[in-house]
Amino acid sequence: MFKPMILSATLLATSATFAFAEGHAAMLQSPPGEPFVQVSDVLPLPAFIPGLGTLFVSPDTLPAGPFLAYDHDGMLSATVYMTPLDELKNGVSYDDLAVGTHEVIAVDVYYNAGHPGVDVPHAHIVLYHDAEAKARLAK
Amino acid sequence: MIIARRRALTMGGSVFAALAAPAILRAAPLQVVKMQGSARGERVWFNPLGVAIPADSTVRFVNHDPGNGHTATAYHPDNFDRVRRIPQAAAPWDSDFLLPDESFEVTFTVPGVYDYYCIPHEMAAMVGRIVVGTPLDTGWEGPSTDTTDVSPEVLATLPTVEEIHARGRIEQKDGA
Ligand SMILES: [Cu+2]
Repeated sequence: MFKPMILSATLLATSATFAFAEGHAAMLQSPPGEPFVQVSDVLPLPAFIPGLGTLFVSPDTLPAGPFLAYDHDGMLSATVYMTPLDELKNGVSYDDLAVGTHEVIAVDVYYNAGHPGVDVPHAHIVLYHDAEAKARLAK
Repeated sequence: MIIARRRALTMGGSVFAALAAPAILRAAPLQVVKMQGSARGERVWFNPLGVAIPADSTVRFVNHDPGNGHTATAYHPDNFDRVRRIPQAAAPWDSDFLLPDESFEVTFTVPGVYDYYCIPHEMAAMVGRIVVGTPLDTGWEGPSTDTTDVSPEVLATLPTVEEIHARGRIEQKDGA
């Protein structure tokens, strides 16, 4: 299941940093464009995940992300990071991760047992970008 | 007239035969195994975790988890070269990924013990056991004794055959 992402990761590795450097305007509305891919297009996950919304990620940033989380209207509502617990324990750190947009009003950190794409126990770190974001991503 | 009556008699005969058969042979209902998860994916599990069924029963695996993809995959060399934990004479299965509300059916004909797992959640010990028939059945193969290919967590999660036979279904409400 990981093959599509691993292949595209190689192709897209060079363009990843440009997307953030270009400024955040393009990411505020779905789809964010290259190098981001919609997670449900490349992995067996629902298009809208209750609690996380519709996720886009640049494959070369896996597993940590950032994952850009959009609501039903395609508005950027959260930036999400996924960090495997074993990796952290083994000394891996995830530094200088980009954010979808600079305004962050709250952060949730919680445990996830795994899902297609990050199929090991990991933490979800969710940065909400406005006061209603959490409610809009709920379902 | 004569043809019609003969057909009626034949039908009556087969209904009678079905009623006369022993319960375990007669009852081959569809069993549903749900794939479930907590709201934020902290826990994932098969429900029931363990179930006893008569031979020739069909099990339908259904993804009831709105936020996750799951598989039901037999432990078998044909599936990712895993050590076999289903009867030798049985055919392995792999549902591949099921999205929410998708399902996959397997019919079990060989008596014995079948262990299976969910590909992205085996590390979270999302596994299940299906017991087909009883040790008295011809061709019965008991549980795998391998402890090298699966984690201690997986082995601890799988109920014993005795537990499954005693309770019929071992429900798992919240993955705990
Ligand atoms: Cu699963």
